[in-house]
Amino acid sequence: MNFPKPAVGMLPNDRLGYSPIAKRKALKLPKGARMVVWTITNVEEWDPTQTMPRTVLTPPAGGSPMPDIPNWCWHEYGNRVGFWRLLQIYDEFKIPGVMNINGVAVEAFPDIVKACAERNWEFIGHGFTQRNMQKVENERADIRKCIEVLERATGKRPRGWLGPGLTETWETPDILAEEGYDYVADWVLDDQPVWLKTRGKPILNIPYTQECNDVAMMLIQHHKASEFYERAMDQFEQIYKDAKGSARVMAISVHPYIMGAPHRAKYFRRIFEKIRKKRDVLFWTGAQIADWYLKSGPKAP
Amino acid sequence: MANPMIPRERSDFSAIVDRPPLKLPGNARIVFWTIVNYEVWDIAKPMARQLLPAPTGVPLMPDVVHWAFHEYGMRVGCWRFFELFKKLKIKPTLSANARICEDYPRVAEQAKRDGWEFMGHAYEQGPIHKEPDQPAMIKRTLDTMEKFTGKRPVGWLGPGLTQTLETPDHLTAAGIKYIGDWVYDDEPTVIRTANGPLVTLPYTIELNDIPMMLIQHHESDYLLKRAIDQFDRLYAESKHRAKICALAIHPYISGQPHRIKYLEAIYKHVNKHKGVLHWNGAQMLDWYQGIAAKQLKAAE
Repeated sequence: MNFPKPAVGMLPNDRLGYSPIAKRKALKLPKGARMVVWTITNVEEWDPTQTMPRTVLTPPAGGSPMPDIPNWCWHEYGNRVGFWRLLQIYDEFKIPGVMNINGVAVEAFPDIVKACAERNWEFIGHGFTQRNMQKVENERADIRKCIEVLERATGKRPRGWLGPGLTETWETPDILAEEGYDYVADWVLDDQPVWLKTRGKPILNIPYTQECNDVAMMLIQHHKASEFYERAMDQFEQIYKDAKGSARVMAISVHPYIMGAPHRAKYFRRIFEKIRKKRDVLFWTGAQIADWYLKSGPKAP
Repeated sequence: MANPMIPRERSDFSAIVDRPPLKLPGNARIVFWTIVNYEVWDIAKPMARQLLPAPTGVPLMPDVVHWAFHEYGMRVGCWRFFELFKKLKIKPTLSANARICEDYPRVAEQAKRDGWEFMGHAYEQGPIHKEPDQPAMIKRTLDTMEKFTGKRPVGWLGPGLTQTLETPDHLTAAGIKYIGDWVYDDEPTVIRTANGPLVTLPYTIELNDIPMMLIQHHESDYLLKRAIDQFDRLYAESKHRAKICALAIHPYISGQPHRIKYLEAIYKHVNKHKGVLHWNGAQMLDWYQGIAAKQLKAAE
């Protein structure tokens, strides 16, 4: 099919052609490892003067009256309390963290940034505010501001990007490559990293997840807390099996206000209790996955 | 009020790990805070929650089905609650629309007789954003409750936890000392208002039968499962710092025959533990005011 092309940017299939995973050259991880797990923690600041991105409680008789204090507080709990629970789990199992953080949240929650920086977590850009990229007035300025804020706070330029709610314009990968990002994670279309063409140099996409993601599972599908553990294990076991001949990547994505709730935290912990024992599974950051793929994967198109 | 404070101006960000632990009296570790919600759903208005969508998908008025759905809680369900709490010798916080004193005096009388704490929960059910005169409604709520019980409530929970930016200022002007609307912590906190400090107590929209049963559509026994998971985690953490585990229930939901046994089982689980206090909001406020002079002063 020929779809009408956007004036600026590219259609998805102009960035990467179709490629069946079964027909690719095998990818090998170091020391005989089969797969990589990367864990992304999402920290946001919700603007109390805007409609809340998600809600747990709808107002009596419906509608969405403003301001929405209960749902603002419900999210704020994650940064005051829930994050610190998740941090204990990462520390216990020595999981290298990936902090996916809004630019404004870097300034709002310095304690969180400090705790992650001390542990040498990777920080990736996640929009300056938690607003869809299609609605951001100046996309390039937004992406740049994220780099500046993260560099100032951590001393390092971010190498990875995940759009707020994974949203992109037709042009996002082009701008990200031009602004010096090495990888993006918005394209949830494979179990292996892939190259995306841009109008300049290509950019890597690393497999992220909407399936093993607490927003989708707990807030949209309304599963009970234990389902997060069960689905993660089902996902893990299948990918582990699939990765026999060629390496694969599994992502787990959580938000402190969801999996950091007291009644959910233990199901998150249980995942690592189980899979951390596997000797042929690597726990890496996004940047480590990118570096490995740059060295061992197919060259950029 | 021209420029009411936004939440961040009322309360600075504070990470729980940076605060000195709170201590409960004696060997107590955790407070289990039961909040029972009794409401008045006026048939002339849209009903607060719907279980059964209208056949055409368009809600029609009057909505007798959901008026009756709620009414069941007042006729039948709440008596299962009274029986349970009497047996357990627990005096919950009653988050009530003040109109229950007029529309359901039999129910309100029972709560009063059983020594429950009356907490302001608006005059009747509906989002506070639609209230044309909040200070008058708040005053009417507190006056009605005081007239009925002889005691002026010290606590407040917005209907559906709704607030406008001005609400905390109106509440302190009316003498309210604590609110449950700010579900952003495991501990009490103090927020700033135009009339001095206001304490927030950690109410819950996670361990609450409205989101769990009516919005997320979990099975009945999940109320028990989540309560155990929530309590166990907070209990473990309460080894190092006092914690509060809130449970919010409604008679038309948890008072249903197929759910009540799970509610009863929650208390069976909780009461197996040492160091659990079944306090209501007013008791928690007294305790917190005694140990939080610094925080209260800072919000002057």
